[in-house]
Amino acid sequence: MTVSTTELRDAARQVVDDLGLAADEQDTWALVAELGWLVLEMPEADSGLGLDLADACALHVELGRGLARVPFIAALLAIDTVVQSELPERADLLASLGSGDRYIGVPLAETEVQYVGGKLDGVAHGVPAADRSREVLLWSGANDCIALVAIDAPGLQLECSNTWDETRRLFDLHLEDVVPTCILARGDAAHALLRRLRMRRDFALAAEAVGGATSILERTVAYLGERQQFGRPLAMFQALKHRCADLKSQVEAATALLEAGLAQTASAHDCAAAERAGLAAKLLANNTYTHVVEEALQLHGGIGMTSEHDCHLFLKRAMLDEHLGRGRDAYARMLAGGSLYDT
Amino acid sequence: MEQSDDATGALRREVSAWLRDNVPGAWRESMTGTAQESFVELQRGWFQKLSAAGYATPHWPEGWLGGGRSLAQQKLIFEEVARADAPRLILYFVALYHAACTLLECGSAEQQARYLPAIQDGQIWCQGFSEPNAGSDLAALRTRAERRGDVYIVNGQKTWSTMAQYADRCLLLARNDRSGPPQAGLTYLLLDMHAPGVTVRPISQITGDDEFAEIFFDDVEVPVTERVGEEGAGWAVAQATLASERGLTLVELSQRMRSALPRLADAINAAGRGDDSALQDDFGNLLARVDATCALADRYLHKRITGEEGPGDASIVKLFYSRTLREFTLLGRRVGGFTAQCERGFMRGATQETGNWPLDFMNSYNWSIAGGSDEVQRNIIAERMLGMQREPKDWHTVERI
Repeated sequence: MTVSTTELRDAARQVVDDLGLAADEQDTWALVAELGWLVLEMPEADSGLGLDLADACALHVELGRGLARVPFIAALLAIDTVVQSELPERADLLASLGSGDRYIGVPLAETEVQYVGGKLDGVAHGVPAADRSREVLLWSGANDCIALVAIDAPGLQLECSNTWDETRRLFDLHLEDVVPTCILARGDAAHALLRRLRMRRDFALAAEAVGGATSILERTVAYLGERQQFGRPLAMFQALKHRCADLKSQVEAATALLEAGLAQTASAHDCAAAERAGLAAKLLANNTYTHVVEEALQLHGGIGMTSEHDCHLFLKRAMLDEHLGRGRDAYARMLAGGSLYDT
Repeated sequence: MEQSDDATGALRREVSAWLRDNVPGAWRESMTGTAQESFVELQRGWFQKLSAAGYATPHWPEGWLGGGRSLAQQKLIFEEVARADAPRLILYFVALYHAACTLLECGSAEQQARYLPAIQDGQIWCQGFSEPNAGSDLAALRTRAERRGDVYIVNGQKTWSTMAQYADRCLLLARNDRSGPPQAGLTYLLLDMHAPGVTVRPISQITGDDEFAEIFFDDVEVPVTERVGEEGAGWAVAQATLASERGLTLVELSQRMRSALPRLADAINAAGRGDDSALQDDFGNLLARVDATCALADRYLHKRITGEEGPGDASIVKLFYSRTLREFTLLGRRVGGFTAQCERGFMRGATQETGNWPLDFMNSYNWSIAGGSDEVQRNIIAERMLGMQREPKDWHTVERI
């Protein structure tokens, strides 16, 4: 991690700590905009800060620690895609996106959308805070078209997904003969942009998961240090110590893999290597997050089963997260695919 | 890092070119089911070449052949040796790392002048720390060293000493005083394995190999000049020994594990199970874990280079490595099936990536038991890193609570 990334992370940690766990979406959004986090990766020529994916992921880690309700991953994915595009109104669009006045939603899951005869049909899953966005960035299942669609376009219906996790506020978008506002890319250009978008989405989700896993483990260790039974703190029992030590080693491994992968995206000209690193980071981060939070609930005992305790917020986020991105089973199989037959 | 990419690239090319010309060919085949004597011969030959080229001692100070390399350069050499699939220098490891680093840090000028050139010439050392009743609890050791004039008289027993049957010298930790707390009253000696009263008995392992041995000491005389550090200061000297190779070994081991992944993929494909989705899941998950092990080992070494190493950092890497290695060899065992159970040959010096899966699985326990067991690592992580409270020292206090 570079010095500037470390400083950014420390500043973000302070902000997220001050906001508190799972803080209000609107308040957090206003703060994110005010702090300039939305222009973090915009080129300096577009009045952005010109920082890179590793910096953005440092923020995702911190927001993941705090289970922030803000749709920051989707916002940055949309901004990067617009930056990469050659839209005529690119400059105006970037200005309003960077200030936080405008938000474009992006699906955090895979879509089942077809683009035929200038119209979009099907369902797009997992768009966070879609009811707050003016447009949504969508693509065809065949990866040959990326479009911006107005949220109030005829034929488009929003359906709140009502997931167990209440911090992401995901929506399904049902599309029937919807005419896009504009097309961002077609054909090979769309393919390339979507590879980039999915790679960045993998890293962002991995970063949030690493943050969440780190946070719930810290909380669990702190709880075990306070909670007294049999006349001593639970932390003194070796059986529990060893479980926490295993969890710590897994969280550290997921963190190291994420950071090594991000270093690769910064230096590699090899798109496939960055893509593979993103797959591995997302897979391990989500495996770790779910495992840590499952253990955390058990280690908290009865209090972890109550809604007044925060443990369940992490559990629900982790359960949801492993299905986001390319889907629960895609990651291991794609990684194995380079070495094994028929994948 | 400390040098330009150009200089790093040049060193990498130099080392990999040298390795291409010098790594013993087909050693995996010739070491399969062979007698230990031919293994020792291979190790000697490979060590002489590596040492003459200076690649055996990059961690030694400037002035020694091959010495004065930065930690980053040492890492690069380790990585290339692992990538070239060269045999691990099991026979010389204690001499090159434990003995040399202990002497460099705590030895007298006379001891350094005497032993370091001998080590570079191929003197073999073993470690005499563990005892039958002092494994994880090393400070409980009972081998005695009694001062009598200019010598110490050593009596007792050591165990789990790697390759002790071939060793010329032993790094011995013995007790000179039983009156104080266990960590006080220990003295660090350099013991001649050819001296009268030394008996070595190899330990037959579950794999059929005998890399370890027991050492018995019966009134063995060690001159006082062979003591490292002060009498009674042996515990501190032993810490220098144990800290000597951490980091680099883990980089090498994790790199070797990554290099062995294609062997596992080949086995899956050869078994006609490349399209078995359950195996794909497990193999994909393993790939991510192996990559993470390499990333952890790299990050740890980087922390050592920049002086940011914290308590428990080394334990995290070792624990994650040993758990991942277990999973790796378990998956191999699963893929190998009944056929693999019928192949009882073993390969010397091959670590745990031979492709003989039951053998590799059994050998993987070397890394979850030796050098601080997983359980000891977990204690260190929980107490020193996570700050979880220690149990009361006095067991009777616990009972009363």
